[in-house]
Amino acid sequence: MTHRTSVSKITGIGLVIIFMLTSFIATAQKYTISGNVKDKKTGEGLIGATFIVADNPSLGVATNEYGYYALTLPKGTYKLIFRSLGYTTQILNIVLDTNVKLNISAESADKQLTEVTINGNKVNTVKASQMGMTKLNVKDIKALPVLFGERDVMKIVQLLPGVEAAGDGNSGFYVRGGAIDQNLILLDEAIVYNPSHLLGFFSTFNSDALKDVTLYKGTAPAQFGGRLSSVMDIKMNDGNDKEYHVNGGIGLISSKIAVEGPIVKDEGSFLISARRTYADMFLKLSNDTNINKSRLYFYDLNTKFNYRLSKKDRLYLSGYFGKDQLGLGNTFGINWGNATGTLRWNHLVNDKLFSNTSLIFSDYNYNINVNSSGITAKIHSEIRDWNLKEELEYFSNPKNTIRIGFSSIYHTITPGTITGTNIITVAKPDNHTWENAVYVSNAWKPNSRWNIDYGIRLSMFSVFGGSDMYELNSNGAIKDTLKYGSGEIVKNYIMPEPRLSVSYSLNENSSIKAAYTRNSQSLHLISNSTSSNPTDKWVATNNIIKPEIADLGSLGYFRNLKNNMYELSAEAYYKYSQNQIDYKDGANVLNNDAIEPKLLFGQGRAYGLELSAKKTQGKFTGWISYTLSKTETQINGINNNQWYNARQDRTHNLSVVAVYELNKKWTLSSSFVYYTGDAVSFPSGKYNINNQTVFYYTERNGYRMPAYHRLDIGATKQLAHKKHFSSEISFSIYNAYGRENAYIITFQDDPNNAAKTQALQTSLFRFVPSVSYNFKF
Amino acid sequence: MKHNNIIYLFVLAIVAFTLPSCQKVINVNLNAADPKYVIEGNVTNLAGPYIIKITKTVNFDQLNDFPAVSGAVVSITDITANVADTLLELTPGYYTTSFIIGLPGHTYQLRITTNGKLFTASSTMPLPVTLDSLYMSKSAFGKPRPAIIYTDPISKGNYYYFAEYKNHVQTDNIYIRSDELINGETINQTLNRGGGESNLNTGDSLSIGLQCIDSAIYQYYYSLQQTKNQNAATPANPQTNITGGALGYFSAHTVSTRTVVVN
Repeated sequence: MTHRTSVSKITGIGLVIIFMLTSFIATAQKYTISGNVKDKKTGEGLIGATFIVADNPSLGVATNEYGYYALTLPKGTYKLIFRSLGYTTQILNIVLDTNVKLNISAESADKQLTEVTINGNKVNTVKASQMGMTKLNVKDIKALPVLFGERDVMKIVQLLPGVEAAGDGNSGFYVRGGAIDQNLILLDEAIVYNPSHLLGFFSTFNSDALKDVTLYKGTAPAQFGGRLSSVMDIKMNDGNDKEYHVNGGIGLISSKIAVEGPIVKDEGSFLISARRTYADMFLKLSNDTNINKSRLYFYDLNTKFNYRLSKKDRLYLSGYFGKDQLGLGNTFGINWGNATGTLRWNHLVNDKLFSNTSLIFSDYNYNINVNSSGITAKIHSEIRDWNLKEELEYFSNPKNTIRIGFSSIYHTITPGTITGTNIITVAKPDNHTWENAVYVSNAWKPNSRWNIDYGIRLSMFSVFGGSDMYELNSNGAIKDTLKYGSGEIVKNYIMPEPRLSVSYSLNENSSIKAAYTRNSQSLHLISNSTSSNPTDKWVATNNIIKPEIADLGSLGYFRNLKNNMYELSAEAYYKYSQNQIDYKDGANVLNNDAIEPKLLFGQGRAYGLELSAKKTQGKFTGWISYTLSKTETQINGINNNQWYNARQDRTHNLSVVAVYELNKKWTLSSSFVYYTGDAVSFPSGKYNINNQTVFYYTERNGYRMPAYHRLDIGATKQLAHKKHFSSEISFSIYNAYGRENAYIITFQDDPNNAAKTQALQTSLFRFVPSVSYNFKF
Repeated sequence: MKHNNIIYLFVLAIVAFTLPSCQKVINVNLNAADPKYVIEGNVTNLAGPYIIKITKTVNFDQLNDFPAVSGAVVSITDITANVADTLLELTPGYYTTSFIIGLPGHTYQLRITTNGKLFTASSTMPLPVTLDSLYMSKSAFGKPRPAIIYTDPISKGNYYYFAEYKNHVQTDNIYIRSDELINGETINQTLNRGGGESNLNTGDSLSIGLQCIDSAIYQYYYSLQQTKNQNAATPANPQTNITGGALGYFSAHTVSTRTVVVN
């Protein structure tokens, strides 16, 4: 009971404070400047573009996710500075004696110079209150060298401070010591449950279709929730609403094409983009019928439509569909894929109040077909969401922007049904849960020195009956199976999640920021494999599995030098997580028995220091990021209940990225990464049983993999650059000095000496060259 | 079904096929571990004597020379028939029964005291299932592999371990099966062999001993398979049915064996 009271109290206080802060009584006549910001050439809405009053920089506003802004000021004459990363800065003189509609068509900065240009595309990052956040400009990452020439935002993200690659060539990542499943990956607001292809070597995101990628390292504002460690918010391009374009690329292992254009000029547009790999074509070359009949490919399809219904209403429909196919002759096959759909309705209630309503569908499923030993079996497993979201954004005044909203997700998990001939059908009932959240937050700028974002998210998770629930005894074995009717609520969890980030400007070029965030997570990916596996299980919170909760505190110092040409930052964080989940040793993770008796629950802690230096302008750009960190876990039943290193505990993590624009035609790039090897379990002894050598393990994660390091180099040549056709060719070498990074280390009898055992290291990628050709017309 | 392994091996095979991956022997500095007792014990429905083998672990960098544990007091009791047999150590580390008989449906208890330590385990011998047929088939890659036919009983909860012997020496392949998906059916299944040195050649003698095991032993072999595969994120020791802190197992099982010559 006390729990609930405190929840409503906190929410209540939050609302009162926000109300008080924002309802300053208007003393002077006030008017609102509002409108949309678009790219002049493509009509794409620009996110996070700012309007600042030149005489009083504490007054200003940024465009929202749809490119809309509203700024309310007293009657008067103003000089507004418009800035957006990668676009020409504009100075706008405005006489404000009535409400003004001001739509901006922003010009790409490389278009060079018009009279209004000042300071190029420099944007001061020091002042924003948000910390632990990085925006990737999809255009900017094009120059970087990548594995197989596949531009992949998830691999670029791994080069940021506090973010670590899950493994060689893997698109999965760890943020501030969190596990892979603790990252919320959103594509146009829809959750992508398995953002990887081909066991993690590629991500599901075709960068040609993307507009904006923002990563929050655990400090996301209140509108995001449901995962402990990070939010990766990915927005698809809307499509060009002025003219038709086709762009495409031909690479070593995949090709892609995108078509975009207006539905009705300036009113609506579409974008369709597709990608498919053809690694399986090489298999066809084999003489072996089992290899040449094998299937190994994936494809992605992104589509988006938007249409302006009226001056106040715009509809967006976006969808993603992707699939992986692996098959060995006709004896074994597996396919898996995500499908998402988002229907959004932007509505301008009035100049100051922007509403977005979304209906979101999200699905991940895998199917396994086995045809051997006289058995034909089919295994199907799925997780499916329906999500209704509503958010109101109120551009109250230049000092306050308020967001209030809710999200309601109905999750259905099909745990794995097995059907076929000559076998018994195993069909466990679907698991149904309902994840709700309400939130309110305010971005408050009390004066030119302070920026304060604060808010609260109230997450509620309801577990429905209908699937088997258990009661466990003190040994963790099943004591009783509990029967609840479907639709009956087994358990409710209510989690208040306060969010606060504060920035204080010391001067024009430096600031101190601090943030505290609580996150909760009610869906858990239970995995015990070294690679990202399509059959890893998503399991919902229930009467035994509790929601994971993490508290993150961080403190940072930010300084820009030489007119924002250099950006320096230092951030320190401490994170404490509760209700962390791990498998018991030797648990059978694949069969369909109840999972609860196989799990152990514990706590985690992570802390670290992230340093970053970035050069943003000039012929030579790039960054250096270094993270010093520690990540530990304590679970009763593992390592004598002591704290031990989590697998992803990497003491040192260094990334260096450099891009050099040699001339108009050639751009050179390189990146270097170094990190401490994963904490892993190696055997400390051996024994013989049933005439075979078996290795004896004494502790979990007591050893280290060798340190990982790698240099990639790349070069891009602009071939044609005309108004109606442009093309470029990119070359790259992944792991240019051929470091044999350990992918896995295994132990075995020495084949040459039966009396001895040896350790064997497997490395995957050395000197992987690639070439790709991209065009646009 | 070990799909994870299949997928894993399949993808590694593809990766190996298409990319310049490589393997090499490396030196890993592994800690020394306090020696631990290892118990291998079987009671079967075949004629005795039955043997309990007790050894100790050695450090990774030592030779595969596992010290025998002598002087232990070892007894096996048929709890169902209330018969106890104290075993004799005829060779160091090998303890042999004198008169006890393995009978399906009976529960056997193992008790070992050595050096002030007590290890106990119990196992119930399931009802026997006959291995009706053993023949050779070919894998997808054209390699010879065994296939077997047997009929699972109507009752649920049967577990099988198929011990494989190449030229009368047990191989390191671990094949297990439960009747979770196949209860009461006649099963015709191939045994997907691992690669490497245990490849079969024409003329080799191949035997399969179908063992009906209890669920704890099934869990032991399942987790032994995981330990041996070494592809789990957190490899661990197999789950033993022995209490007192020893590695290994004590299994009361039935055996039905057939032999073929690889052609």
